[in-house]
Amino acid sequence: MPNKTILLLGAAVALGAAALAPMALGQGASGPFTQAQVASGRQAFDANCAPCHLQDLAGTNDAPALAGTPFMGAWGKRTTAQLYSKIATTMPLGQGGSLSEAQYTDIVAYILNRNGAHAGTTAFTPTSAVQIDTIANGRAPAAGAAVAQNSTRQESPAPSGQAPAQSNFARAMAGQRVSDPGAFGLPNRFGLSLEGNIQNYVPVTEAMMVNPPDSDWLMFRRNYQGWSYSPLKQINAQNVGSLQLKWMWSMPENGTMEITPIVHNGVMFVWGTGNTVQALNAGTGELLWENRLGPAPRRPGPGPSTEETRSLGLWGNNVYVNTPYGYLYALDARTGKEVWKTHITDELKIPGGNGNMFGGSTGGVIIIKGRVLVGMTNCGRNGDDNHCYISAYDAATGKRDWKFITTALTGQPGGDSWGKLPDNMRKGAETWIAGTYDPELNTTYWGTAQAKPWRRDLRGSGDGATNYANSTLALDPETGKMKWWYQHAPGESLDLDEVFERVLIDHGDQKTVMTIGKPGILWKLDRVTGKFIAAVPTVFNNVYENFDQKTGKVVYRKDIHDQKVDQWLSSCPGPEGGHDWQATSYHQPSDALIIPLSQSCVFMLGNGSQTYFEMPGTDGNMGRLSAYRTADLKPLWSFQQRAPFLTGVVSTAGNVAFVGDFDRVFRAVDTSNGKTLWKTRLGTTVQGYPVSFSVDGKQYIAVTTGLGGGSPQAKPGTMLREVHRPPNGYALFVFGLPDDK
Amino acid sequence: MFRKSSGSFLLSLAFAAIALPALAADYQTNLGPMPLDDETKLVIAGRGEATASSDGKTMTVKGSFHGLLSNATEAHIFVSPICGVPGKSIFNLDITKSTSGTIAGTFKLTSAQAAALRTGKLYIQINSEKAPEVYPWGPKGNLWGWLFPAHETVGANVPQQDHWFIPQLDTPCAKKFEDADNA
Repeated sequence: MPNKTILLLGAAVALGAAALAPMALGQGASGPFTQAQVASGRQAFDANCAPCHLQDLAGTNDAPALAGTPFMGAWGKRTTAQLYSKIATTMPLGQGGSLSEAQYTDIVAYILNRNGAHAGTTAFTPTSAVQIDTIANGRAPAAGAAVAQNSTRQESPAPSGQAPAQSNFARAMAGQRVSDPGAFGLPNRFGLSLEGNIQNYVPVTEAMMVNPPDSDWLMFRRNYQGWSYSPLKQINAQNVGSLQLKWMWSMPENGTMEITPIVHNGVMFVWGTGNTVQALNAGTGELLWENRLGPAPRRPGPGPSTEETRSLGLWGNNVYVNTPYGYLYALDARTGKEVWKTHITDELKIPGGNGNMFGGSTGGVIIIKGRVLVGMTNCGRNGDDNHCYISAYDAATGKRDWKFITTALTGQPGGDSWGKLPDNMRKGAETWIAGTYDPELNTTYWGTAQAKPWRRDLRGSGDGATNYANSTLALDPETGKMKWWYQHAPGESLDLDEVFERVLIDHGDQKTVMTIGKPGILWKLDRVTGKFIAAVPTVFNNVYENFDQKTGKVVYRKDIHDQKVDQWLSSCPGPEGGHDWQATSYHQPSDALIIPLSQSCVFMLGNGSQTYFEMPGTDGNMGRLSAYRTADLKPLWSFQQRAPFLTGVVSTAGNVAFVGDFDRVFRAVDTSNGKTLWKTRLGTTVQGYPVSFSVDGKQYIAVTTGLGGGSPQAKPGTMLREVHRPPNGYALFVFGLPDDK
Repeated sequence: MFRKSSGSFLLSLAFAAIALPALAADYQTNLGPMPLDDETKLVIAGRGEATASSDGKTMTVKGSFHGLLSNATEAHIFVSPICGVPGKSIFNLDITKSTSGTIAGTFKLTSAQAAALRTGKLYIQINSEKAPEVYPWGPKGNLWGWLFPAHETVGANVPQQDHWFIPQLDTPCAKKFEDADNA
């Protein structure tokens, strides 16, 4: 067995290395908790907190680090009672108050211990109030590591065939409070649970991908250009008011679901939590096959943004699936049987990461000329030689063709933009949304997330731009060679990604790529050269002291540039973003890009504490849907509402667009003016990517409901106190016109 | 300042009569429950509206609020270092010490305060009995609302054609961070 003491200490040192000297005050002081609380707190933490914050407390994406400099910066001047209150009322995310008082006190004891506080003889209680930096220094003591060494705990995700040891059901039977007793059904059997026998399946070809049949939805955003636009027009602005439910399919509960149903030749392929892949008769909802790839979500209830994928892919007779833990599968689209399986990083483990694999994948796939291209997430840790990358695999064999590292290393173009950081400290630039493709230019376009750590003051990159983070990348899909990149937000420092969909739109001879990121700036670039063409802000933004709409150059506010981990900072938009993963739709007939927008702001103390406030000028409306004409970036129409939109948009040649929201409403709007033409209310949050398809000449609209995810779920979950949602209800809904229409 | 593209410039000029006041102008805000986290949302709620009129030398504020979870205790005008970032109290408003009521006040403005009003740096904050008296970090309060030049608003779920009010495009919204003490 590896020496866990060393591993854990290594992780803690890596987290806190920059700030150990000033933290010496607390070293050696005894905390108001006992060793027994630390030991049981470790178990409670691993069961309830580690799925998001990781077992070494390093944090992931939306879950802040709970050890080292980030934790001490955010919590050092506050008291242990305040930490207890924060955790007990808000955690696990969306299920605050669901654990017992003893579990919460033990978890606090464990966190304090992992930050250098020593156990004493007095048990910690909810009212034990000691300023944290008087007992902790951000560095794990040997005693804390010893607890880790002695405890029994599960490494990484539950292996296939095993469910987590303690289900909500088991806890409920043991008399513990369970916040979501309806969601204790974690799957515990994996594999091909129903083998299919789909006859006359039509293999998907390159020609189909370039010109998709009107009836199909073959990929993430339907076409290579990322339009999310269907040429079907049976359902139109005149008759959409009579839309009715045709069939519904309950999906696996727990975890996170933001999926795109994929439809080909009357068969729908869909991913569910626990990496359950299903084929359904798209006209009737009949199950054709099911393969439970596993593992189950790490805990019952809604999950973090790292436990999902957003789209499947089709090629030949196969369906392709990337899973949150970095596996890439090819399944036989006719039977569901596994054809091949590989791992994006060859199952490489994170050094010091307690068995967690380096890199996951949540963004879906795009298949180009027989290659499966896939991005990465959760690959941004400092201190090792790994980097995030985009990689391509032979669709027939799974053999890796190429990979492109998305951070500029020493000697590469842009490699001088990381200050003095060595290559092993250049992290982030994840690609958590699949790219798009121009067949004519033979170029694939991807967005990248920010550099990691995302705070400039913790990253150590100085004033460097940190290429190729928060950029648009143009790559040759056959070699992975970069053609150009354009960085939208150099040196980003507020968790404001520019990673989302790249939409390819032509205006005469002008070939453009358009995108919008969390800052809410709608960008238009020349997709041949990567040159800036135009940009327009779509929401209130006070992050940039100067944003030049003629050049695209951004200048951050001085207080953002000078941010410090122990001082609060405010930004509009906050991490929910002006725009997030809920993708746009390009309604080609009206040249309108229809954009889900969010309107909220944040105070951040370090990256460990966030408090939200309404975006000024929005009257408390967090959600907005706006259409912009892409030729000149002119706003066409907008409406706003309290609940933010939690789906992408699909528009059709029937001049209707569909979108769903946090408060369970799924609606159709007129693409010419934004007027709502039809709406219905579903079981829980309407979340995912709606699509349109046809079977036997009848047009349908499909959308999923689901929970889990990052800021787009967490921020409205806090700010919209009047919205009450059930903690379950993951499902697929298919709508169509009455049969006599 | 955000620089406008030429395409949007004419639109902005057309809108300027409403949204870009010189010295005499009206301002408006919608007051909402802030700041919110999973602890403060248990004690913070309510909404309100307020307007301000100014001749550049004085400012008169009137407004109402409702739906607080505990009695209002005080109300202030704050000045931000930039648009949308909380700052420091500069004026006290009269307020009904109840869960609903009114706010009002008339104040002489310095030139810096008048400039702050024009550039979106003034906001209203109402405190209440249950809202945290000493928030562990950062600003506190129960209802906030930034005063912006009067502009067209529509209700929730009502589509508005063409232009949409975006403060940094439609007002001289201050974006260069300055110490609030300057006002």
